[in-house]
Amino acid sequence: MNGDISAVQIILVFIVTFIAAIDQFNFLESLYQPIVMGAVVGAILGDVTTGLVVGGTYQLMTIGNMPVGGAQPPNAVIGGIMATILAVTLGLTPTAAVATAIPFSLLGQYAVTLLFTVMSPVMAYADAAAAEANPGKIVRLNYLAMGALGLFFAIIVTLFFVGGAAFGQRVVDAIPDWLMTGLSAAGGMMRYVGFAILLKVMVSRDMWGFYFMGFALANIVAGIPSLSNSALLLLAFVGFAFAFWDFQNQTAFRAAPASVGGDEDGI
Amino acid sequence: MAFSIPDRYHDQAPAAPLDTATLNQMAWRSVFLQASFNYERMQAAGWLYSILPGLEKIHRNKDDLAASMAHNLEFFNTHPFLVTFVMGIVLSLEQNKADIATIRAVRVAAMGPLGGIGDALFWFTLVPITAGITSNMALTGNIAAPFLFLIIFNAAQFAVRYFLMHWSYRFGTDAIGILTANAKQFTRAASILGVFVVGALTSLYGGTALSIEIPNGTTFAATPITTVVRADELDRYREQLYKLDENGRVVLNADGQPELAEGASIRQLANGDYQITYNEYDEVPVTINIQEILNGIVPKLIPLVLTLFLYFMFVRRNWTPLTAIGFLLILGLLGSGFGLWRSIW
Repeated sequence: MNGDISAVQIILVFIVTFIAAIDQFNFLESLYQPIVMGAVVGAILGDVTTGLVVGGTYQLMTIGNMPVGGAQPPNAVIGGIMATILAVTLGLTPTAAVATAIPFSLLGQYAVTLLFTVMSPVMAYADAAAAEANPGKIVRLNYLAMGALGLFFAIIVTLFFVGGAAFGQRVVDAIPDWLMTGLSAAGGMMRYVGFAILLKVMVSRDMWGFYFMGFALANIVAGIPSLSNSALLLLAFVGFAFAFWDFQNQTAFRAAPASVGGDEDGI
Repeated sequence: MAFSIPDRYHDQAPAAPLDTATLNQMAWRSVFLQASFNYERMQAAGWLYSILPGLEKIHRNKDDLAASMAHNLEFFNTHPFLVTFVMGIVLSLEQNKADIATIRAVRVAAMGPLGGIGDALFWFTLVPITAGITSNMALTGNIAAPFLFLIIFNAAQFAVRYFLMHWSYRFGTDAIGILTANAKQFTRAASILGVFVVGALTSLYGGTALSIEIPNGTTFAATPITTVVRADELDRYREQLYKLDENGRVVLNADGQPELAEGASIRQLANGDYQITYNEYDEVPVTINIQEILNGIVPKLIPLVLTLFLYFMFVRRNWTPLTAIGFLLILGLLGSGFGLWRSIW
């Protein structure tokens, strides 16, 4: 960008990004929002008003673009911070700054996809810690994971802060498409491992029907656009009805005199 | 999983109820629920981190603590702001040393529906309203905007977290008498709901889809063309307007009138010109969309097949989660083609 940025500013941007990156999934889950970050980064760079305006502009764009249900929209942390940096240092108008920041926010999305994929095999380490009843390891694992997320983002933003927008674009272009498509496809499939393990420990032979019923009803509810957001709650009502009915039947069986043998069948 | 989780805890004596300080500590820890979020088990390790203070107080027996930690590391995903509801219930079961199958089933059954409720409350209502108002303040350069946003949002968030923690722990403790009287029946019922929810999650969270289009020849697409011609020009459009036999002569219908081609019409205008409409045929490529065919069998077929495949490998081939992740990583990258062939995703 230009030679006017001081070492203190670079360090402050690094720290702020570190905190915001963690905050996007943890802690207050609101510090990271562009409306806050715009003002903070603006203050660091000596122009709070521009920061506020850019933050407000970016925020209005992201409303309705929230991290819902595990999907990863273009990252608001890197986008919001970079938009403010671009507006203050290059004197771009807020709208132009927000538009220029979009490629950077895409890079934030890549970083998140990569980290969530890499963290999957680390769960084996957590399993080992559980087997030896070692809470300390679980605690450290969580702190280290947050540190990695913060560091990842802070390095990316600092590089762009120092290196400039053209440098950022080159980095984005250098990442091959196939790598990110492949990783996000693999990342999207990894939840099936979690499902399969749950099935392994929960399903007995007489329960497969309920698995397929849940799957079928979910498909039906998901096919109705107006119900898509309340799908799981509606399905839980249906599932609850079956479970409760079964509970009543089973307890009634037990309460009845055991004239028929095997009153605890299928339990 | 190297460690095989038992069905019940060794120490069956209920532990002392958790004190307010521990419950508050866990409600605070719940803000780090997604610390080690990953695609395999999502919030599992963060969930375990959040309830650890309670588990350590409840399970004095080291084997029991190991068992409890192990089963609480299974797939977990719920709404981050409503998680304390699940925590309270699960901790009340842990404290009363319910069967592990029961605790697991309740956990899975409770986590699912909260996601939709939380998204609706927080991401679709609270954030758009507060952020919308304060953003418009920020656009005018009002420095109070970010502070106002933070205060409103976090007041709501922490009120919900602490309230649900205490309320659901009490609720779980109160309900425990009914549960223990019919423990086996309850476990079975909770497992039914749990398995049902996993089935629903397979469909709702399963997003894997193919984008393969196979070229399948070409077809002719008709484009209607309407134009106005003078009467003496009409003959030039003979081929487009009329049905012709194999010798190129106009086919006559039963009334002896020339028969119009499909989609064609001729209308005489007041000034003597004719407005004619006819179809022009263009060759367009046809593709077969594999995902559409799969959706025709059943939507979300790939998530279902992959989940069942992994289940099979876990049960029959003793795959570890790590093997499964490696397999999916290779599958994902192979599918994307390394830039050598077209991505199937």
